[in-house]
Amino acid sequence: MPGPILLALALMAGQDAPSKTWTVPRTPDGHPDLSGTYDTATLTPLERPAQFGDKLFLTAEEAAAIEKEELNLSEDLARPSDPEREAPPVGGDGSPGPYGNVGGYNFFWIDRGTEVFELDGRRRTSIIVDPQNGQLPPLTLEASKRAAVRRALYKENAGENTGEAWWVEIEGPGPYDDPEQRPLGERCLLGFGSTSGPPSLPVLYNNLKRIVQTRDYVVILVEMVHDARIIPLHREHAPKEIQKWMGDSVGHWEGDTLVVDTTNFGKTPALYSASENLHVVERFTRIAEDTILYQFTVEDPTVWTKPWSGEYPWVSTDAPLYEYACHEANYSFGGILRGARLLEAEAAERRK
Amino acid sequence: MRSYPAVVPIAFGLFLAVGVPASAHHAFGAEFDPNRPVLLKGAITKVEWVNPHAWIHVAVEKDDGTKEVWMVEAGTPNTLLRRGFTKDSLLPGTVITVDGYQSKDRSNRANGRDMTFPDGTKLFMGSSGTGAPKDGKDPTEPKKPKQ
Amino acid sequence: MVEGQANAYRAPRASDGHPDLNGIWQALNTANYDLETHMARAAMALREGPYGPLPAADVLPLGAVGAVPGGLSVVEGGAIPYRPEALAKKKENQENWLTRDPEIHCYLPGVPRATYLPYPFQIFQSENGILITYEYAGAVRDVYLNDPGPPPVESWMGQSVGRWEGETLVVEVTGLNDRTWFDRSGNFHSAQLRVVERYTRVAPDHLLYEATLEDPEVFTRPWTIRMPLYRRVEPGAQLFDFKCVEFVEELMYGQYRRRPIAR
Repeated sequence: MPGPILLALALMAGQDAPSKTWTVPRTPDGHPDLSGTYDTATLTPLERPAQFGDKLFLTAEEAAAIEKEELNLSEDLARPSDPEREAPPVGGDGSPGPYGNVGGYNFFWIDRGTEVFELDGRRRTSIIVDPQNGQLPPLTLEASKRAAVRRALYKENAGENTGEAWWVEIEGPGPYDDPEQRPLGERCLLGFGSTSGPPSLPVLYNNLKRIVQTRDYVVILVEMVHDARIIPLHREHAPKEIQKWMGDSVGHWEGDTLVVDTTNFGKTPALYSASENLHVVERFTRIAEDTILYQFTVEDPTVWTKPWSGEYPWVSTDAPLYEYACHEANYSFGGILRGARLLEAEAAERRK
Repeated sequence: MRSYPAVVPIAFGLFLAVGVPASAHHAFGAEFDPNRPVLLKGAITKVEWVNPHAWIHVAVEKDDGTKEVWMVEAGTPNTLLRRGFTKDSLLPGTVITVDGYQSKDRSNRANGRDMTFPDGTKLFMGSSGTGAPKDGKDPTEPKKPKQ
Repeated sequence: MVEGQANAYRAPRASDGHPDLNGIWQALNTANYDLETHMARAAMALREGPYGPLPAADVLPLGAVGAVPGGLSVVEGGAIPYRPEALAKKKENQENWLTRDPEIHCYLPGVPRATYLPYPFQIFQSENGILITYEYAGAVRDVYLNDPGPPPVESWMGQSVGRWEGETLVVEVTGLNDRTWFDRSGNFHSAQLRVVERYTRVAPDHLLYEATLEDPEVFTRPWTIRMPLYRRVEPGAQLFDFKCVEFVEELMYGQYRRRPIAR
């Protein structure tokens, strides 16, 4: 039995007896009803911050402190700005990561959750439960080399933005040579950050999922980029030559848990670093009227030295998904490529 | 009132609150030039409530008195729609102030690093202008639509 | 097509107690080329030749693959009732098909075009919801069973609200933007468009599909299209990926490559 299941069972063993007033609702064919709309945002990160070591759980006080900090941040960023403010500094404003040294945009566009999630009455330090340190396992040698090359090339995506075409000085490809090398989210092929996955992971916003369940299929509609994961329940995997952006998923019921097995990924799955050898097993179990326990195990022996697993709750919401048409108004994409060409031309001019 | 950057830290306090890096988000660093800051003040001419980014068109008066239209890149409308805002929540004619950086392709585009009304209050905060948007304290905050 | 026998067939029930629309369906006509009656012709994009229209240079190498098959109108009454100024716009669209048809850029197709594009779509129907997923561009529609009120913004696929009228699923679509076409012949609409679809099982492997279109800005009156939809019955039938964003990147962004490919 995979780690997360053992862990979940172990945790539940220490719980109070389940409430007698709630029984899992079932569809006419007798299976648990997983349908609904869920907001999967959470403050708990995928990987555990190093200072927690092997600690999977937060105390109530620790959780409250983190949530208060997020609330303070959100209130701070909602305060009025100086009406006499000037333009931000030349050279950038130092904002890190995806905010790209240019400050991104206002916090009110973001919706990354307000709480660290709770399972079995306890708060979690990470989504990853295995390895025990809550971190991704080490990469294989090949994957490490690829990651290093990517890190060096895609500097602006990590926040190192100087506004110059530094790549004209290096041998080999630059980060903006061709549309095909840009991240899938930027191209509007899939939502960024494995929001659809599989496995599906929380991202900065639009973490909503809609599940509709029939006798023969479970469909998970992912808000970004309006992707429908169609999971047949009475079928084998498609032949190997059929590849899909989100892989080929087949599901079956193991008791009251829907088990979804996904293979047949293309060369670049949504999950960062993964290859076409990716294999994901997900488990969906309704554990409360408004909660589905979402568990997953990731295997890609050409990328990670061992499988890794995680879990977090999908919590019901009254809010609907809205259309996320992406390609149709992807003005930024042209801007990014044109900008790179312009900066390269300027660099060439300076060289003369 | 201090001039507070509209920057969202990636890591603050104890917790890293974003997912896997590099594929996270459309990269502002790829699109906007840190050497070309802008401050735009003017009336909105059009709001495109689209994904992956809403775009707010602003007519800015230049030094010579003529107007030029800038496109300001904003976030996903879906977040705001779920808080009860609609396409009528920000109308042409509304005067706003935007600071940000110009697009690397040198077009009249900039990121909406901080978008406010002329008095400094943030857009889409409800009428109170202060307080966390989702704490329910603002009685004029539009209600969430039900499915 | 089982004309006249529509009332004789009683479809099996889905788990929601209504006629079961679950399955993979596809239109088998040329409506996506032209909703109105059309003769076969050499190409979608034409230019004048000495004896009549010839394929435009851009599509000439496609030869017969680029030719347009003939087909009957799916419009009740035959013709789309354009207002005169709108008809002029339709003709202009048609003349500029290559640069204006949103299908060429793989944009979301809107309603009702999504139904009769030459790609399958799948209906998922149960007591907990109705989803329609289209192979083309991965378009999806969540058919709400409770009306949430007017949509807060316009969208490519609109907001769909469904109800059952006996054996027919009636879906009202509002909030469509004005960016989609009805077909490749420049037939278009404004953001006032309201669509009422009707899906009825008429035989084990046939759906009857009707859509009434109302757009007072463009048309003089509401008009209706009607066509059968066919179940994909082969074993293992499934939707493939056809996102098709990656297929149009060269078209849309190729000139911005660091080393553009010669055209």
